[in-house]
Amino acid sequence: MIRVLFLVIAVTGLASALATVLIKNLVRAALALAGFFFAVACLFVLLEAEFLAALQVLIYVGAVSILLMFGIMLTRGVQGTDPASRPSAWRLPGVVIGLAVFALLGYAIFQETGLGTQRAWGAIDPRPAIARGTVEPGAPRRRAINDMGKVVGVELMTRYVVAFELAGLLLTAALVGAVAVAHREDDEPSRGEPSRIPSDPPITTSP
Amino acid sequence: MPPIGPGSLDYRDFFFVAPEMVLAVWGLVVLLLDLGLAKRQPAPARRLLVGRVALAGVGLTLAVTLASSLIPLMARANPEDLSTWFSRSTIDYLFDDDPSLFGGTIAGGFDVGVFNLVYVTLLGLVVWMSLAWKFTEEWGEYLALLLWATVGMMLLSAAEELVTLFISLEMMTICLYLATALDKSRTRSAEGGLKYFIYGSVSSALFLFGLSYLYGLTGSTHLSTIRRLLESTRVVGLAANAAGITAILLVLAGFGFKIAAVPFHQWAPDVYEGAPAPVAAWVATGSKIATVIAFMKVFGNALKPWASPSDHILGPGWIGLLAIVAAITMTYGNVAALGQRNLKRMLAYSSIAHGGYLLVGVAALGLATDVTRAAAAVLFYLVVYAFANVGAFAVAVWLVRDKQSDDIDDLNGLVRRHPVLAISILLLMLSLIGIPPLGGFFGKLYLFMQALDERKNAFGSISLIALVGLGFLNSVVSAFYYLRVARAMFLRQPAGEPIAAADTPIGLPILLAAAVVVGSGLSPDSLMSVMQSAATPMLTTPIIVPKVIGPAQGPPAPKKPVPKFEYSKDQVKKMGQMATGGAGPPGGGGPPATKGATTKKAATKDAPATPRKSQNPP
Amino acid sequence: MESDIPLSWFLLFAAASFAIGLIGVLTRKNAIAVLMAIEIMLNAANVNLVAFWRYGPELPEAGPVAGIVLAIMVITVAAAEVAVGIGLILLCYRRWRAADVDRYDSLAG
Repeated sequence: MIRVLFLVIAVTGLASALATVLIKNLVRAALALAGFFFAVACLFVLLEAEFLAALQVLIYVGAVSILLMFGIMLTRGVQGTDPASRPSAWRLPGVVIGLAVFALLGYAIFQETGLGTQRAWGAIDPRPAIARGTVEPGAPRRRAINDMGKVVGVELMTRYVVAFELAGLLLTAALVGAVAVAHREDDEPSRGEPSRIPSDPPITTSP
Repeated sequence: MPPIGPGSLDYRDFFFVAPEMVLAVWGLVVLLLDLGLAKRQPAPARRLLVGRVALAGVGLTLAVTLASSLIPLMARANPEDLSTWFSRSTIDYLFDDDPSLFGGTIAGGFDVGVFNLVYVTLLGLVVWMSLAWKFTEEWGEYLALLLWATVGMMLLSAAEELVTLFISLEMMTICLYLATALDKSRTRSAEGGLKYFIYGSVSSALFLFGLSYLYGLTGSTHLSTIRRLLESTRVVGLAANAAGITAILLVLAGFGFKIAAVPFHQWAPDVYEGAPAPVAAWVATGSKIATVIAFMKVFGNALKPWASPSDHILGPGWIGLLAIVAAITMTYGNVAALGQRNLKRMLAYSSIAHGGYLLVGVAALGLATDVTRAAAAVLFYLVVYAFANVGAFAVAVWLVRDKQSDDIDDLNGLVRRHPVLAISILLLMLSLIGIPPLGGFFGKLYLFMQALDERKNAFGSISLIALVGLGFLNSVVSAFYYLRVARAMFLRQPAGEPIAAADTPIGLPILLAAAVVVGSGLSPDSLMSVMQSAATPMLTTPIIVPKVIGPAQGPPAPKKPVPKFEYSKDQVKKMGQMATGGAGPPGGGGPPATKGATTKKAATKDAPATPRKSQNPP
Repeated sequence: MESDIPLSWFLLFAAASFAIGLIGVLTRKNAIAVLMAIEIMLNAANVNLVAFWRYGPELPEAGPVAGIVLAIMVITVAAAEVAVGIGLILLCYRRWRAADVDRYDSLAG
């Protein structure tokens, strides 16, 4: 049953991902991307990481998709179609490289034998059980699953406190920098006008 | 590094990340000052004010870095001296020589201190260089991004754990993408920023996928744990381990992008040419140092067991891969640089080539029997390269300020007007080629000697010898394009409008870089010994023991003498020397000499006392 | 559980999404489309991380939630990257009136 559920989610997710990279219309591609994000959130639920699924929905489906949508609208008009988009010379090699990477990864997954006493990736069928009942100190994963928010919070405030603070600084820097970069100055050309910024002279030599 | 339990955060650990915290907060200060107070002032005064405040912040960070490196040494030397300022528990904490902080996620040892000093000194030069001319409207944001990128670099070279490593790598590169695009008067800046962003994001996605496999293979994100697990496995190495090979390839791709190794180098020339010259300098030096250090930590420490498990150089192991990449990278960079007339593009290709030399060093690290020396050779090369390159980019700043272009021909006849600077630039170029007796020569010498020294297996030695031969050939090739700069300065007649005199923001980096290059050439041993003692904590796996706080634990075990203290005299002296290069307080070319002198005085006072570690406090 | 999902299924899903994202990066010209493909790749890595966290070994020194915390950091980084990417794309769009990567070719590769 749970396998069927997984297959449904996975097929939906992969189809959305394919649609994202194949559809010409960028707004539709962004919608398909939101679908992919949601499928990934469902997989997180199947993996018993509901906290992360909630984060995924809030941040990816809620914020990132909207931000991308804004980017598309601002650069492309409301329709989001791109008349200038043309088939790329990279199409065939790109697809071949992608398929080769997938083949390599698939081979790697089933060929992995497990380090030391660990089991091979291909052989872990039922997930490691977590005992029910009282919480005892020796079972970190059970604690984590049953009380994900608390455990993640404690970890972020102890072991990963530097990474956590740095993430905050990173968001600040990204915000400040993105505003500074995208901020329109007075002497910049507005929409439709030709650019008044002189283009640089061409570079003479290049190998 | 005990397993950290719930609620066990040692607040004293923040003492060692004080430089990062000061720099992060100072970025905000600069930003708010620019947006708030300085808005009322006319633009040039505002630029100067904000720039000087940023420089003051760099100076403050330098002081904090020195303090956070020296106070532990003082605490070990003589705990009584500090008892007026610190509580007993803090002194006990400082006395403890366990370098891992926050449950082992970052290191706080001597290596981190030294490289924080290097970053902050270089940052001071880069910020100072930015004061030379006006190139962006978003001045406060620009400076804040530079400072925050430095926070990322400092933590990247301190990271001992993949989560922290990943986020600090991103911190560094995201700030640099943005800073690259901030020169809005030139379209190339925007273009360089976008290219940098796209290449960089793809590479971090590849890197992250590699990290996820690494985590899956070992079950841990701590570098030391990964190493222990890989070493303890029965089948050592990558033979019949496609997942491991995939992880290595992906992680290598990620690092390769950041240091512009050849299959992933396409962004570098465009970014260097498009970015404002100080940002290009910071991409070429700071981010390269930090990335190579993280690279050495991941490959030379965590993945060391996978270096070369079999006897073939191209056998399953990362050495063969790295050797090929290194060979292609240095050859391509040098050959491509031959055709360049633009100084920044020439520096871009030459920095690709230097990345190739550094990869030779990292490959030697994989085979090394004496890991410390091999890593120290790479670190030595990095420091000398970074200073020389910052000086070279200051020349680019000079050209852009006065000629609005950065063609090498604009330097024609420089020696007649500015002989001192011309000779300094010549010294930098000679050092980048690797002419004795300058620092660059010793960098290459140590690097190649290390590669020749490794006799662990025959195939490895042969291919490393081949690499070193290729490296020598490449150095000869590089002489042609570096000497083109010298030829323009010394042999050509000045054409057109002469270049105006360089003021402090341009002259100081050039002169200081030349001083570092000459100084490290005159006494390479002292810098090398500092780098060796820095390499020791960087590449040794911390032993996982419960932390025993307090000086009463006596001297370290005689079997494993802690090498930190062997060099303490040099360390302290070197820190003093490095302080001389630092950016002083605002007020222009204040006398760095006095600053250095005071630090040296402090150093000499501490130095004799330092080795008395085992002295029991009352 | 009798018919639990094997670990390899999650890994295969991640590998497939990663390859799709890579194809998107290599074949799309539009910068925003490339950005979306990069997001797919980052999400693929996240699926890997969480799957390994759930199915992998429990090491006491690794902490209880290493994979989860890395995934949270990735989500943060992805959000920052999208903001930065949109900003840079807007800047370039105002210069060239196009968002195609290959249009920005005043710099010789």
